[in-house]
Amino acid sequence: MPPRLNCLAARLATLPEFRPPAGGWPAVLEARRLRQSHGPRQWPALAGVLALGLAGGLTWLSTQSGPESLADHRPAASLVSGSDAIRLENARLEYLLAAMPEPGSMRGSTAFTVVVLEDRLAAIDDRLSVTVLEPHAPEAADQLWRERRELLDSLVQVRYAGLARSR
Amino acid sequence: MARLSELEFPAELVASARAGDPAALAAIYDQAAGPILTLLVRLVRRRAVAEELLQETFVDVLEHISDFAGRCPLAAWIRTLAVNRALMYLRSPWHRAVDRLTPDQHADAGLTLAGSRSGGNDQDLERALMRLQPLTRAVIWLHDVEGYTHAEIGALLGRTPSFSKSQLARAHLRLRGLLERDTAVPEGAACRPV
Repeated sequence: MPPRLNCLAARLATLPEFRPPAGGWPAVLEARRLRQSHGPRQWPALAGVLALGLAGGLTWLSTQSGPESLADHRPAASLVSGSDAIRLENARLEYLLAAMPEPGSMRGSTAFTVVVLEDRLAAIDDRLSVTVLEPHAPEAADQLWRERRELLDSLVQVRYAGLARSR
Repeated sequence: MARLSELEFPAELVASARAGDPAALAAIYDQAAGPILTLLVRLVRRRAVAEELLQETFVDVLEHISDFAGRCPLAAWIRTLAVNRALMYLRSPWHRAVDRLTPDQHADAGLTLAGSRSGGNDQDLERALMRLQPLTRAVIWLHDVEGYTHAEIGALLGRTPSFSKSQLARAHLRLRGLLERDTAVPEGAACRPV
């Protein structure tokens, strides 16, 4: 690490510490008691009830209306999958990238491309973190997620090509 | 107050805590709460939020201490729980929206508290740190202060180690830029012993 950066890290490490609030431990014990009484154990039961309801509803639809009208309900499913599919694809590519081994060495041009792509990814992540407040937030977010997916896809390809070359 | 990395709990205390001994658990809280709160304030910026996350972290400790296998120091294990809590908070769109809607973020971060116990240079650095984007701030703090590797940070953030490296480089540049703009100190002055 260059001396100036090393110095910055040392200065960060010596920043003053914060004192915890008085009565913090009793508050932890109380919070735990509350978590146990309203805790996540109720969620599996609720999820079970919802799943049963959904399954029952679908069965009822299929028996009442036949296969043709059941097909009419597919647009709803595709609506759900529209935005979610892009996010899922992002997650899949992130997973793929994380699973790739770090190359021991990388050509300069490849390393440069990787840095540029990661920089653009970071910029999109910054934009995504503020889209919740923008007008037309869902559309804007979807567009950013699409751009992010393209960048991730490029990054996977570049990293894969780099790995293939290093073998 | 000891730094998180300096915290060492005696094996007997850890064994008692794992067995659910309330006194042992309280003793661990007494020693670790300050360093963990400091870490959380630096990650989430707001003292009130950090105190809430501190509480959640120690509820997690109470619920999972019996699973602690001792493969790493107990302080590091608690720190992982705290970092995961902080990252969950930072990822939440709702919390991000609330964070941006509140006008005076820096004062709420407890900078006045930090400032009262430190000199002007520290205040400048603290203020500059709090101006970084949450993800950038998390990377620089976890790497430079907590000693996480790029691979560990990448795994925590669901990204690659090279992402962590590029974020860290950007963070250093941005932090240096903010410090130079705010303080306009000579080159060597930033490296005076503190």
